[in-house]
Amino acid sequence: MKNKIIIITMLLFTATIMLNAQISHRGFVRTYLGVLPNENGEYSVLQNTFNWQLEYGKNNVGLFVNPMFNYDGLDKNLNISLRQAYFDIYFNKFDLRIGKQQIIWGKADGVFITDVISPRDLSEFLLPEFEEIRIGINSVKLNYYKGNSTIEAVWIPTFQPTIMPDANSIWFPKMELPEIPNSFDYSDATVEQKLSESEGALKYSYLGSAIDFELMTAYMWDDNPAMHITPHFTPGNLQPDSLTIKPEYHRLPLVGASFSKSILGAVIRGESAYYFGKKFSAENFSINGIREKDYIHYLIGYDHNWFGVNVSLQLIQEYILDYEDDIRNNEFSNTATFLASKTFINETLELSLFSYFGIDDGDALLRPKLSYDLSDGFNVLFGANIFVGDDGNFGQYDNNDMIYTKIRYNF
Amino acid sequence: MKKFTLMLLTLLMIVSMLSAQELTGLQIIQNVYNRPTAEDQTADLTMSLINSRGNKRVREIKQYLKDFGDMEKKIMFFVAPADVYNTSFMNWSYDKDGKDDDQWIYLPALRRVKRISSDSKSDYFMGSDFTYDDLGDRQPNQDTHKLLREEEIDGETCYVVESIPKEEEYMYSKTITWVIKDKWIGKKKDFYDEGKDLLKTLSVDETKKINDIIIITLSKMENIQSKHKTIMKLENVKINVGVSDLKFTERMMKRGI
Repeated sequence: MKNKIIIITMLLFTATIMLNAQISHRGFVRTYLGVLPNENGEYSVLQNTFNWQLEYGKNNVGLFVNPMFNYDGLDKNLNISLRQAYFDIYFNKFDLRIGKQQIIWGKADGVFITDVISPRDLSEFLLPEFEEIRIGINSVKLNYYKGNSTIEAVWIPTFQPTIMPDANSIWFPKMELPEIPNSFDYSDATVEQKLSESEGALKYSYLGSAIDFELMTAYMWDDNPAMHITPHFTPGNLQPDSLTIKPEYHRLPLVGASFSKSILGAVIRGESAYYFGKKFSAENFSINGIREKDYIHYLIGYDHNWFGVNVSLQLIQEYILDYEDDIRNNEFSNTATFLASKTFINETLELSLFSYFGIDDGDALLRPKLSYDLSDGFNVLFGANIFVGDDGNFGQYDNNDMIYTKIRYNF
Repeated sequence: MKKFTLMLLTLLMIVSMLSAQELTGLQIIQNVYNRPTAEDQTADLTMSLINSRGNKRVREIKQYLKDFGDMEKKIMFFVAPADVYNTSFMNWSYDKDGKDDDQWIYLPALRRVKRISSDSKSDYFMGSDFTYDDLGDRQPNQDTHKLLREEEIDGETCYVVESIPKEEEYMYSKTITWVIKDKWIGKKKDFYDEGKDLLKTLSVDETKKINDIIIITLSKMENIQSKHKTIMKLENVKINVGVSDLKFTERMMKRGI
């Protein structure tokens, strides 16, 4: 696979030289060093990245290819990926985009509610830039325009799940499983690649003076597999001796809406989605540890500029309808995000703090950053990831605090 | 003959009095505000940001403007530096008093058009020495104007008008504008900070007449206190070329240059 990508990259490079007048190319080179602030000062990240974006346009057709080369200095591995590769056809009233592409929906920042089209790469939790967390997905996207309204239809022929961290990674999430010997059966942990298993989504959006809003519906696969548990009993015993855990993907249809509106110089944002029949893990083995419930995920956000400081606050709640006590998730889950940022010295220096707060578990992720432009396109950044708490989505990574620096040159 | 001279002098006095009546500070600023502008305009804007050590950073923008009667729409596509390439910014401003602008930004890396807070007119535009308010058309009734004197700059006779904002919290305590006589275009403007010290000086260094409309094509804003300056140059200016209404939409923000 790697060899193929290298060959394709070489071909692209040759094509760029041959068609230099028509192909524009941009991108960045970045060095990223992360240190765990323990007594040894162990390196947690040492990456060198070359992100290359090639663009070609003629008449009503456009082409975009984005290979990315990532050398991991700790593993001594060169990872090459094709983040996006698509072509556009522009018509008078509609556009067509075909290929591997990122599709972003909704009004939330750093929270995924109606933004379910592009899967995510969570192999380093939520720490990479959001643009790098999202994975391009093979799809066909049709946009129809009328005035300030847009209808967007997406067809995704093959399911691509979110990338989770390896089991031996420091970012592998804590799984709530009974303390009984268990084994995994991955025989059904895939979705067949055929037309009947494809995904589809439809969105109407409006952008105007009074309000911006989106209405959407999607027939997707749940990115996270449900863990079907089969208990094994010795005759006469009430407690199982062992468990077989079978991860399996299921359909997850949803409808959703989002809006943003200016009020007295501030922006109010909202986003919600209703998911039909999500499979939740439950403690009851008689139903294979799965309960199917509808649930609602929603957010309200507020953005304002106070004395030159951009402040953004989001309150997020997840609610499982018709809740039953053996479900492992809470009936209500509450999270908040907070962002404050300010620039200095004619926008060459920026200080910012982005934070997630798990309200139920009292945990948090604090991400202070200091970024300085040495010259146009040449930036140095110092930051920290501070996990607070012992449990919850963020507290479980309390030992993974990190300080880091990134040097980036855009061309 | 004496009678004729007396009549002429009287007439001149009347004309002079009438013209003196017209020359209130408010009317001069209103004339500047009401100067004919294009129905639509496209241009390439280059901003050179130069700090006190002489280091220069350059921002290049392709911009489109259109007057819709009671509102003006503007869309800007950032061409340089490389890290903001194809970022677009759209602003809809309204004539109606008290109605805030609507603003959106499209960041190509995030692939999303985001509505942004518009209550930050005192923010500096892209790290330049121009605030968003400096770049907009400030309505004359927002300040109290006083004609101070007439003065000559670069061979042009100018009215010198002092403008004090009615709003107490405004970022400037006052501005002084040199308006070229008969052309109704600013030649120079001094901005005073809240401590009443001179903060910035704007100079208009080049104008061009296109289709009988005067366009400022070269200007410089210098922050006297920080010694930082911004040179703003407008090139390839085209006016009244029939820019489509559809240029100012989410579709175009995402599609880019």
